[in-house]
Amino acid sequence: MADTAKDGSFSLSNSERTSRSSSLCSSQGSGSASGDDPFGDQMSQGDRQGMRRASRTRTQSTSDIKMLRTSKRTIYTAGRPPWFDVKGQFKEAFVIGICGGSASGKTTVANKIIEALDVPWVVQLSMDSFYKVLTPEEKELAHRSEYNFDHPDAFDFELLFDTLKKLKRGRNVEVPIYDFTTHSRTKQQHTLYGANVIIFEGILTFVNPEVRKMLDMKVFVDTDSDIRLARRLRRDITERNRDLVGVLKQYDKFVKPAFEQHIEPSMAHADIVVPRGGENEVAIDLIIRHVHSELEKRDVHFRSQLAAAGQGQPLPSSLHVLESTPQVRGMHTIIRNRETNRDEFIFYSKRLMRLLIEQAMAMLPFKTVRVKTPQGSAYEGMRFNWKRLCGVSILRAGETMEPALCAVCKDIRLGKILIQTNLNTGEPELHYLRLPKNISEDHVFLMDATVSTGAAAIMAIRVLLDHDVQEENIFFLSMLMAESGVQSVAYAFPKVKIMATAVDPEVNDKYHIIPGIGNFGDRYFGTD
Amino acid sequence: MATITSNQACQDIGANVRVLKSTGQLRELQTVLRDVETSRSDFVFCADRLIRLVVEEGLNQLPYSPMSVTTPTGYSYDGITFEKGNCGVSIMRSGEAMEQGLRDCCRSIRIGKILIQSEADTRQAKVYYAKFPPDVDSRKVLLMYPILSGQGSGNTAIQAVQVLKEHGVKESNILLLSLFVTPHALKSVTDEHPDMTILTSEIHPHVPVHFGQKYFGTD
Repeated sequence: MADTAKDGSFSLSNSERTSRSSSLCSSQGSGSASGDDPFGDQMSQGDRQGMRRASRTRTQSTSDIKMLRTSKRTIYTAGRPPWFDVKGQFKEAFVIGICGGSASGKTTVANKIIEALDVPWVVQLSMDSFYKVLTPEEKELAHRSEYNFDHPDAFDFELLFDTLKKLKRGRNVEVPIYDFTTHSRTKQQHTLYGANVIIFEGILTFVNPEVRKMLDMKVFVDTDSDIRLARRLRRDITERNRDLVGVLKQYDKFVKPAFEQHIEPSMAHADIVVPRGGENEVAIDLIIRHVHSELEKRDVHFRSQLAAAGQGQPLPSSLHVLESTPQVRGMHTIIRNRETNRDEFIFYSKRLMRLLIEQAMAMLPFKTVRVKTPQGSAYEGMRFNWKRLCGVSILRAGETMEPALCAVCKDIRLGKILIQTNLNTGEPELHYLRLPKNISEDHVFLMDATVSTGAAAIMAIRVLLDHDVQEENIFFLSMLMAESGVQSVAYAFPKVKIMATAVDPEVNDKYHIIPGIGNFGDRYFGTD
Repeated sequence: MATITSNQACQDIGANVRVLKSTGQLRELQTVLRDVETSRSDFVFCADRLIRLVVEEGLNQLPYSPMSVTTPTGYSYDGITFEKGNCGVSIMRSGEAMEQGLRDCCRSIRIGKILIQSEADTRQAKVYYAKFPPDVDSRKVLLMYPILSGQGSGNTAIQAVQVLKEHGVKESNILLLSLFVTPHALKSVTDEHPDMTILTSEIHPHVPVHFGQKYFGTD
């Protein structure tokens, strides 16, 4: 609500706005757009509380907590299907820019689009987040309602451009939260990640030519200026306790001139002009049809393509299989045997995992050092030569490898990714994500117990890359992989080191590994 | 100080000596255990990791036979199964540090103990106590002692093997698991008991002789 941000009362409207947008996304079952945890929540109680805490700090509003709870079920059903091709490359997100004057109904149009699109993983980005941090003098003006928030100069277009660009490329972004009481950015930031469609709205979305180029579809909401003024008066006076004179003064001085100078002319860039705003059903319907056809062009049938890829090729050099010693084969014999009870299954799985983790540790970079011994002599040895290591497990089965990792690395940070196969489409879908903060320079051990086609592994690696982890710093660790899975992962991400305790030759038509190990998670957790 | 890497050192050693493959990771552990700056907590943590690696490699030396099993997906997997009839024997005190590592791999393995101390004046190793499973003579024995160095501990290991032989264990059925070995101690042990297999993580003239003290915190 750029256009209404004229005084201290804005903090209220800001929180109200945020809660509205989050309820919007979650009630759609779309990838909820904001917060530390952009994937909604369907995990343990602890995680859920974490999520609520995050939302609370973000919005200072209790209403959206209820929203989250009521919509939990919806979020759960909407995983994110693959957003990249078999080469692991991202197909750009579709960006819809919505522009229009103050109180023209941009948000209503955005909501209607999201509702009618019925596509998960829609992210909403507002220009409000990109107001410049004000100097003390400017703050003074703002407090007297004399700072022009409706002028392009009030926005940090550089940051806006970078953020939108990264988001369009599928990257994880931190969006600033603008505090209208202090006119500066808060310490917290929204984390936005996982957009297939980005809705970018604001009063000046079409002004900057660089930003404009990134918009795949430009919608202008054209509402009669009398109606807009009437809405503004009602909103500012009844909802924000402002006086009539102040609102009118501001409208005259900034809002109206800005509309005439910057907003209205930018209508020329629009692909579609929507008169009357959100109530214009025909226009919304046209927009939806277009977006759907654009999205269909990008659709891939991921898993079936993967299974076909790389058949009969020699195994890639990025694969490192645990040396097949008698112990490794003996343990495999035990855990692959369907007669093995759970106690033994867990015990021997853990031993194998420990060996795998130790071998993976040996692949990390080391440097030569000289240390002094208690006996007084010098010893030329080796020490780790990396910044930090973290583990990320692909739920549920990958979690079984965490204890082995923790036993080898003290105090290691752990992240989790939930990917499940959609039973209707057979495609993997991303449901939940929580990664350690600032992992871009870390070496990452990504863990999953078994890999058949590699679809989930590729998705998880893509997630890490989207969070700016270096491809060569990713180690994918698995108990058992099928050759097809190895091939697809290596094909998509040749620099990722793949490590497994064994590789089996085949996958059957149900994507089960042959001879395989059964459902690892079920056997380990006893849910079979 | 000249640094002898494990690989060079083991070339002229008999066929019954095995050294873990040297990786950066292994060297890191060996470095931490030697570094005078290492805290006791890190020392124990890294020692346990190194012990686990040695034990896992040691278990690879045990006899096995082929076995086919059926997987949950209904296919057959050609694997192997290890023979029964092994046991562990730790040489007190520092050998006991390796017992947990063995237990973590073989949950119900029988473990015997030998207490041997060197006479302060003669440096002769003397047996104070020995307790083995009753049928130790028919078992493969994993003998555990972390440091084999110059005079003292080399003699201790030699003496321990002697005790086992007196209990009817064949020398070729003994596998000595150790973390660090000096070339000198290795030679005296292999000269004395050539049929025994020795497994270690490193052969180096300077070994962390403070191992037992620091591991148990009596330094």
